[in-house]
Amino acid sequence: MGRVRLLQLGALAAVLALWALIAALGVVSSTALPGPASVAAEFTDLVGGGTFWQAVGDTLRGAVTGLVVAVAVGIPVGLVTGVYAAAEESSRLLTEILRSFPVIALLPVFLLVLGSTPGMKATVVFIACVFPVLLQAQYGARSVTPAVHETVRSYRVPRLLRFRRVILPGAVPSIMTGLRLAATTSVLVAIGVEVLTTLPGIGHMIMESQQAGVSARAYAYILTAGAIGYAITMLAQLAEHRLLRWRPPTHPGGE
Amino acid sequence: MNPTTWTFWQPLLRRLWLPALVFAVLLVATAGSTSFYFPPLTEVLGVLWTELLHGGLVGDLWFSLRNIVLGLALATVVGVGAGLVIGEIRTLRLATGPLLDFARATPTVGFVPVIILTLGIGSGPKVFLIFLGSVWPILLNTVSGVQAIGPAVHETARGYRIPWQLRLRRVTLPGALPQILAGIRVALSIAVVLMVVSEIYGSPVGLGNFILQSGSSFHVAETWAGTILIGVLGYLLSVLLLLVEHALLGWYHQRAPRARRAVRPPTPPAHKPATERATSNGVVV
Repeated sequence: MGRVRLLQLGALAAVLALWALIAALGVVSSTALPGPASVAAEFTDLVGGGTFWQAVGDTLRGAVTGLVVAVAVGIPVGLVTGVYAAAEESSRLLTEILRSFPVIALLPVFLLVLGSTPGMKATVVFIACVFPVLLQAQYGARSVTPAVHETVRSYRVPRLLRFRRVILPGAVPSIMTGLRLAATTSVLVAIGVEVLTTLPGIGHMIMESQQAGVSARAYAYILTAGAIGYAITMLAQLAEHRLLRWRPPTHPGGE
Repeated sequence: MNPTTWTFWQPLLRRLWLPALVFAVLLVATAGSTSFYFPPLTEVLGVLWTELLHGGLVGDLWFSLRNIVLGLALATVVGVGAGLVIGEIRTLRLATGPLLDFARATPTVGFVPVIILTLGIGSGPKVFLIFLGSVWPILLNTVSGVQAIGPAVHETARGYRIPWQLRLRRVTLPGALPQILAGIRVALSIAVVLMVVSEIYGSPVGLGNFILQSGSSFHVAETWAGTILIGVLGYLLSVLLLLVEHALLGWYHQRAPRARRAVRPPTPPAHKPATERATSNGVVV
């Protein structure tokens, strides 16, 4: 394991060196790609100040609100439509069309209807996140084997209990994959909305810094966004491992 | 009714009744609507039709479509190329793992102001942004696709001393193709989003610019029409990709699901690549 860590640090150093070299040689203008040293300096400045944490909080608040609602709606709907074949078949085309819809394109419409409010940001996040959760829950519910269904039926397990104790646990691995995707998406969408509107948050700070000509600060915010996304992915993977310890290991990727 | 036509129609009917019902409800609910924000659906569709035929919407559509195709093609070439190399060389794969995951997790929309404010509002920076966003899922999926090829296959290829170019072309690439295509499908949804965001942020043409302009000048029907057109474009592109996938992967889908599953590694590797499966490409940002 130690060797792998060393390799990874080496790769990181190589990338940083390459970045510094490109910036120093002036291949790209410094407003498009500032050097790593100036970005690091800006970053330490930001972390000490309040505006940075305010922006991070604003982005996370919008992302989490939308995500929570998406989970609360997506999992039940997904499980129910996954269990009943007729429901799944009827809703398939609709979900196919809706999930391939680029949610951010709804922004001008939402700006008209809802205005530039934090609620609008959360709504856009919700719409973007509900489909990964719903589809994965549906997929998980479908993966419960017929033998299990028949056993449940012959024991006359009540419907609610069946959903809570049989179908939901069976679908958890698949739901976790959906959750991981939705969590990353939520931050992405929140930042996307902030870049395009005047709503406060990381996206807005990126835009403001770049417009003020301080591209090193813009990069510091972009890297912060990357770190948040990375942390979410890692946390979700950790949660997946802990929640699914009772299961024999399956193939990666959570089909 | 003829039984054979019934067996043809029945599954179709089962799938189409709900979308048709939703469409009908929307049609009826908005008919004669006097609400400023929700004009009648017939009016929206009428506007879409006339804008496409007589307005400049075809030019916008062409601009957006070209950027998506160029950016995605570039991302596919670079992503698959780099992914094959990284996937084949174990040391490189281990070393770059966290970096690639970080790059994948960084929201490309954040780069939109930086790139457009410094490189301009033309087509080039937009293609670059689309490339930047869509290259990571393709690259990561290619890496894990290469990894998923059984060691026996590699050893056989080595045992027969198949030259590396031939091995890459006839063994590694086809073996990783299912995963690569799943990655491209994820990349497509990201590409459409970046197309929209980059055009809303700063562009004289394009579908994103169209909905922004009509929205900010309170032409509500036009805004809805443009939004619907973007949705249709995204859906048609994903269907097109699915058709390509079926054409290229006929051999893969014809195999039994059990055999298909065996292609993947039996135990999770030490570093788990962030792979998106075909079932989970709902990442419509």
